[in-house]
Amino acid sequence: MPRAIRGVLIECEPAIKSILVHIDSNELKNDAIIEDLDDTRLVVKEQMVKTLKSRLNEKLKETYRPEQPLEDSD
Amino acid sequence: MPPKRKAPAAQAGAAKAGRVSAMSTPGPATPRSLDSSVVSDGGDEDFDEDVTEAQVVREGLLEQEADEFVNKWDIKSNRFQSVNETKANDAASHLFRKRDFSHYELKPDHQNRPLWIEPNGTIVLERFSPQAEAATDFLITIAEPKSRPSLLHEYALTTHSLYAAVSVGLRPHDIINTLDRFLKTSLPEAVRRYIQDCTKSYGKVKLVLKNNKYFVESLDTEMLQKLLADDVIRATRVHGSSEITTTYAPTMGGLVIPGTQNAAGLHQANLKHANGGKPGEPGVGDAAAEQDVFAALNEEDDDDDKEAVHSFEISDSSVETVQKRCLDIGFPILEEYDFRNDNVNPNLEIDLRPNTQIRPYQEKSLSKMFGNGRAKSGIIVLPCGAGKTLVGITAACTIKKGVIVLCTSSMSVVQWRQEFLKWSNINPDDITIFTAESKNKFSGSTGIIVTTYSMVTNSRERSHDSKKMMDFLRSREWGLMLLDEVHVVPAEVFRRVISSIKSHSKLGLTATLLREDDKISHLNFLIGPKLYEANWMELSQQGHIAKVQCAEVWCPMPTEFYDEYLRANSHLKRTLYAMNPRKFQACQYLINYHESRGDKIIVFSDELYALKQYALKLKKVFIYGGTGQSERMQVLENFQHNPEVNTLFLSKIGDTSLDLPEATVLIQISSHFGSRRQEAQRLGRILRAKRRNDEGFNAFFYSLVSKDTQEMYYSSKRQAFLVDQGYAFKVITSLANLSETPDLAFATPQERRELLQKTLVENEKGPEQDAETDDLFGQSGRGRGRKKAGVRRIAGTLGELSGGQDMAYIEQNKAMNKGLTKKKKAETQNSFFKKMQREKDKLKGK
Repeated sequence: MPRAIRGVLIECEPAIKSILVHIDSNELKNDAIIEDLDDTRLVVKEQMVKTLKSRLNEKLKETYRPEQPLEDSD
Repeated sequence: MPPKRKAPAAQAGAAKAGRVSAMSTPGPATPRSLDSSVVSDGGDEDFDEDVTEAQVVREGLLEQEADEFVNKWDIKSNRFQSVNETKANDAASHLFRKRDFSHYELKPDHQNRPLWIEPNGTIVLERFSPQAEAATDFLITIAEPKSRPSLLHEYALTTHSLYAAVSVGLRPHDIINTLDRFLKTSLPEAVRRYIQDCTKSYGKVKLVLKNNKYFVESLDTEMLQKLLADDVIRATRVHGSSEITTTYAPTMGGLVIPGTQNAAGLHQANLKHANGGKPGEPGVGDAAAEQDVFAALNEEDDDDDKEAVHSFEISDSSVETVQKRCLDIGFPILEEYDFRNDNVNPNLEIDLRPNTQIRPYQEKSLSKMFGNGRAKSGIIVLPCGAGKTLVGITAACTIKKGVIVLCTSSMSVVQWRQEFLKWSNINPDDITIFTAESKNKFSGSTGIIVTTYSMVTNSRERSHDSKKMMDFLRSREWGLMLLDEVHVVPAEVFRRVISSIKSHSKLGLTATLLREDDKISHLNFLIGPKLYEANWMELSQQGHIAKVQCAEVWCPMPTEFYDEYLRANSHLKRTLYAMNPRKFQACQYLINYHESRGDKIIVFSDELYALKQYALKLKKVFIYGGTGQSERMQVLENFQHNPEVNTLFLSKIGDTSLDLPEATVLIQISSHFGSRRQEAQRLGRILRAKRRNDEGFNAFFYSLVSKDTQEMYYSSKRQAFLVDQGYAFKVITSLANLSETPDLAFATPQERRELLQKTLVENEKGPEQDAETDDLFGQSGRGRGRKKAGVRRIAGTLGELSGGQDMAYIEQNKAMNKGLTKKKKAETQNSFFKKMQREKDKLKGK
């Protein structure tokens, strides 16, 4: 019998898509993404959208504010 | 012109005693890696490890003290900000939070006044105001420039800047009145108190070396009485000398900085006057004579009221104690050197060559140093390529006493000596070099010694010769200590240098007075205040340095690279964003574009792996730490003179002390995190472009950044300094016609995947460190001799080893560097073969 899952189509930049895939495979045990369509589109489970959003925000913060101490040398 | 910092070939390979430990483990494939200490180009210097523990502890304490002191005098401290001011609240004020200053009332004619002020000492100047010029002159004297883009400049009042203002003779009420005149609002109470507090204690007490006796000097007898009431200071006073002596303050008088307009005509008179002047205190008659000369010059600031100066003598040994004590009780002491009345130290025969003219801004900076006819200690900040060396030399020519020059590498030592010989008429015997290789004393009674910081501070494993030399340095008194590139050297090193070598005045030179670790404020106490900081934009408008267009090029990461980037550790991340194929394409595109315009291009990469891959793929020459000395020279000469070699790839060894006036374009593909200094230093490489005075000429500075990576963040941080200097970075999100470039590298996904795989595999072991050699022309040969030592064991058949196995190589993808060698060989062909070749060509032609 066919099973139906409510999904949400996400369209974004390739980089953001990469991050989403990364989050899905590392932190959410592949539980969020239903279908990886192409470089810019994904279908994810509806109830995971919120989690994905917050994780993505964290990740982006990391990218733009690296924790690495800035030593002064050259 | 041969490169400026050229090394005599003999220096390559000369090993140094203190080096042994650091060289013990060079791997066969990796160049020698030193742990990256704070000092950058550590060719023959490592400042660490060679001090005793006690010394470290003592230095720690001193540093702490300096820290405390710096904090105490910060304008944000409570003692200045505690004033309660009634604040108006309106609907918008919460948006500005603490920066709501709307309660300061505007003066009725505020439109004609150029300055805004915040109670924390920040001053904003409207450059478009008609009064801006006058206000700028004033602000440069009393405040430190923070940011100088085209229309709005930001300045900050700091203790050091006020201290500098006082030392050129401004008085607190002058500062407050003038400031008030330019301000749109009234002067905030906190700022007024800050100015008064700082100037009250600063610069009122001076430590003067006169006839080789130390005097504590002040304009105010009360101040001296206060000091003498202090037990510690009273104990240091030399007994038998009269309580307090009174003399007259010196003026700029007959002192003329050589190389300036006045210098030529006045030179003769000045000499006569200096010799004729009475030794000892400048008497009234002497002063009158000075006035005559002065009047003849028709100088505008002709102030003829002589001020009385009071002083008492202290013993030589207690100078440090007094300095420290004065700091404790809140009267920091200012050091000045009355070199014209110093009869104990012999004069040095040195003068600028008659045809030398120094530029107006150099003159301005020196006039700050010699403001009242005495030499003040301090730091002069000029952009790269604006002639810092000449400023140093001119200062030496003004003081005309023994000079010690400290630089960062043995290469710049040679360089400094050459510059001295070039610009001044000093006898070559009087200027000597003190490095690991050469240790000569000068022939006469005084002279100039050029050395490195490490030679002076290294206290361990000194050879007999250098120990003797050190004792010689220590036993003497020096008129001037020139400190090159002050920003690279940690404060402890200065403390050690300053405590071991006695000099009357110190002059620090740098292009970028900033460190990410914020230790700069200590320099102000160790060397002296910042005397002058040039405005980069102004200099480039006047054509002293090149005009530069800056651009940041955003290169998106292909998906497969970005996936890998997300998984990678921090080292690999850096490699990956440097190896981004889109970046590669952008680089290729820019190189093609500029080569076709006839530009000479330098490409910088901190990431060694990327550097090599780029250079090999694009078939360009490259230099990094591991490149041999002769190869370097050859590559550089080709870059300068060979019209076919237009692009040079450089690792971070080329950041500083590289002078290639041919280069007009700079591309940066990877860099050291958010180091603002590196960015500025790299920009400095193209500021002295030869063609800068051609009409409409622009130099270009491109920074390639991988999108959505940490590089974006670092990049914006790095630009901060240059933006403050008034440079505008254009952001280029995509390069036009990029895809139409012929032979575009990594155009297909297939190639990109191969590149990714290759990068990942080859970087498994972690990144290759650049050998921290000296500088571009430095002695990298030292580490290499070792590789040959030791026997290699290879398995193989006898036939193979003897060449019987029928094998032939062709090197694909070979380094351009090697091609250069071959070309050269071809040129030195025997004439017979050349003739043969010509005939062959002729036949072919038919």
